[in-house]
This record gives sequence, structure tokens and C-alpha cells, in this order.
Amino acid sequence: MANASHSGGPDPEAEARNRSRSLADRIAEAKRDTLVSEASANFRQREMTGMGRAFRFAAEFVAAILVGAGIGYGIDLLLGTRPWAMIVLLLLGFAAGVLNVMRAAAELNADASVGTASEGALPDDDDD
Amino acid sequence: MSEKAIEPIHQFNIVKYFTFGNFGGNGTEGSGFEIAFTNSALFMLLTLLTISAFLILSTRGRGLVPGRMQLMAEMVYEFVANMVRSSAGTEGMRFFPFVFSLFMFILVANFFGMVPYFFTVTSHIIVTAFLAVLVFLVVVIYGFMRNGLSFLKLFVPPGIPWFIIWLVVPIEIISFLSRPLSHSLRLWGNMLAGHIVLKVFGGMVVALLGAGAWGVVAILPFGMAVALTGLEFLVAALQAFVFAVLTCVYLNDAIHPGH
Repeated sequence: MANASHSGGPDPEAEARNRSRSLADRIAEAKRDTLVSEASANFRQREMTGMGRAFRFAAEFVAAILVGAGIGYGIDLLLGTRPWAMIVLLLLGFAAGVLNVMRAAAELNADASVGTASEGALPDDDDD
Repeated sequence: MSEKAIEPIHQFNIVKYFTFGNFGGNGTEGSGFEIAFTNSALFMLLTLLTISAFLILSTRGRGLVPGRMQLMAEMVYEFVANMVRSSAGTEGMRFFPFVFSLFMFILVANFFGMVPYFFTVTSHIIVTAFLAVLVFLVVVIYGFMRNGLSFLKLFVPPGIPWFIIWLVVPIEIISFLSRPLSHSLRLWGNMLAGHIVLKVFGGMVVALLGAGAWGVVAILPFGMAVALTGLEFLVAALQAFVFAVLTCVYLNDAIHPGH
């Protein structure tokens, strides 16, 4: 992409070298991208099976509620405030469960759109 | 014998082969902590030996043009490396050995479970919970090591007004703490449920075959068992992949907590 803007330079040898290097880069990049997208598309399509998705959401949701209730119970035991911390943290756990499910759904949706569009999402690995 | 065939939980029994001895306790029966070599331990050991043998033997030639076995090993490597790179960034590659070990262990253990009469290591929650807690501790410890206290920014999403923040932070903390639970529940639940269902349909075939003329109907659960076996192979590979991908996603949080 960068070599087009430098074409005004008078050194044809450097330009050729530059071009061949960028060609090699592009080949390597294309190879890597096809490997990634092949492998992940292969698996992601299968992850789209209804049962897998359902199990993922169920686990995310239940886990947060259980953790919330558990923490609340622990606080109750420590402070002797029998039902209150557990009630509050159970509700917070419920909210966290909804948050988890929302995040998981967003992730799966993003994966699905990467699988179909497959452009733009892959090259920017390390700049954020 | 027929009783054993219809009991679908029997396959998860832990059998002690020999014991290394009793630690702690006061000498009376049942006290202390017994460390025994069980069938679970045997299959973990077999898993490790299989992985080691596969990787060592297949990469022994180190040919520039890989043979079949070397190609397989390289493909597994590339697959996991790309997964780590795309989910956790280039910096996540320092955790490549960790993710690769987890992936291979779960994959091979799951596939071992598909062999008849073999024990499924990952169908016990203590195993999957240990793996998930290991990932969790790596994330927490590395997160604090790399980012210091700014790792806690993970719990404070940007752009939240101050009067909601006190509600959002506990929710984020619970969400974070629930990760090892859901991480382990998913793998364990899939393996346990799959193997129980397989055994139930297998048991139905046996029971129907023993019922005289009704034995003809046995073809129905038999077909189901065949289909489910295929599905279970898929689930075995898929759950290993999902476990590894989520490990990468969690590691990404440790490396870039600012999201």
C-alpha cells in the first residue's frame, strides 16, 4: 500500500526491491489470513450449533448468579447480617449474569460477521 | 450384568489402583488425606504420554519439507498460534505454551473419553475447575504484575456517570469472578451430559434386544446412538477449542485491561 505513494522517486532499483519485498509481505500476510479464517470459520460454523450456544449462555448466566449468592452468603456469615447481603448480591449477580450473556452474544455476533465479511477485522492485531 | 448396562453413571466411578499412602490425620480409619493412583490419574498420564509421544516423534525429523506427522504437528501449532494471536494480540504469544498445553490436554482427554471402556477425565468437575482456576489465577497475577493497580480499571468501564458507578463496579466484579465457574461448568457439563446420553441410548439398545420380539425396535435407539457418537466427537473437539479461546479472551483482559 505504501509503495504507490513513493513512485515518484528516481531510484528504480530501490523501487523494485521495495516492491518485491512488499509482495513477499503480502503473500505471507495472505497466507496467514487464509489459515486463520479457514481454521476459525471451520470451528465457528460449528459453534453456531444451537445447543452449543444455549449451553454457553446458560453457563454464563447461572455462574454469575451462583457467585453472587455465594459472596452474599459469605458476607452474611462474616457480619451476621443474615438475609440482607445475600439478597442484595443475588440481585447483583442476576445483573452480572445478564451482562455476561449480553457480552457472550455480542462476541458470537461479532464472530459471525467476521466469518461472512472477513475484511478489516483481522489485520489490526496489536494497535489497540 | 444387565443392571450395570443400564446404569449410565457407572462410567464416572473413580477406582483406586494403588495408594501412595495417607497423609495427616490421626491414624484412625477415614481420617487424613489419602493420595491414590486412580483411573482418572491413569488416563491423565496416558493423555500426557500420548501428547508427548506425538509431538516428540512427529518433530524428530525436523524436515524443511514436512512429512505427514510433522505436518500434523505444525498444523496444530499454527492453529493455536493463530488463535492466541487473533484473540490476545502479539503480546499474548508469551502465553502460547500455556494455551497450547491446555488445548492439547483437553482435546486428547476428550478424545480418549470417546474410546469404549475408557475413562473421561474432563467429565469430573474437579479437573475442569482446576484448569479454570489455573487460568483465572494466571490472569489475575499477570494482570497485576503487568499493569499494577491500573488492572482494576477492568472493573470501571469508561464513560459511566459517578452516580451509577457504585452499582456497576460490583456487577463487573461478580461478572469477573463468575468466569472460572462458567469456564469450568461448560466443559464439564458438555462432557458429562454427552456421555450420559450415549450410555442411556446404548442401554436402551441392550434392554430392547433382551425383550424378545420387541428387539426389532432396538434399531431406533441404535441409530440415535450412532448419530450421537458423531456429535460427541464434534463436541469433544469443540469444547477444547472453546476452552482455549476463552482462555485467550481472558488473557487479553490481563494484557489490555482498558476495554
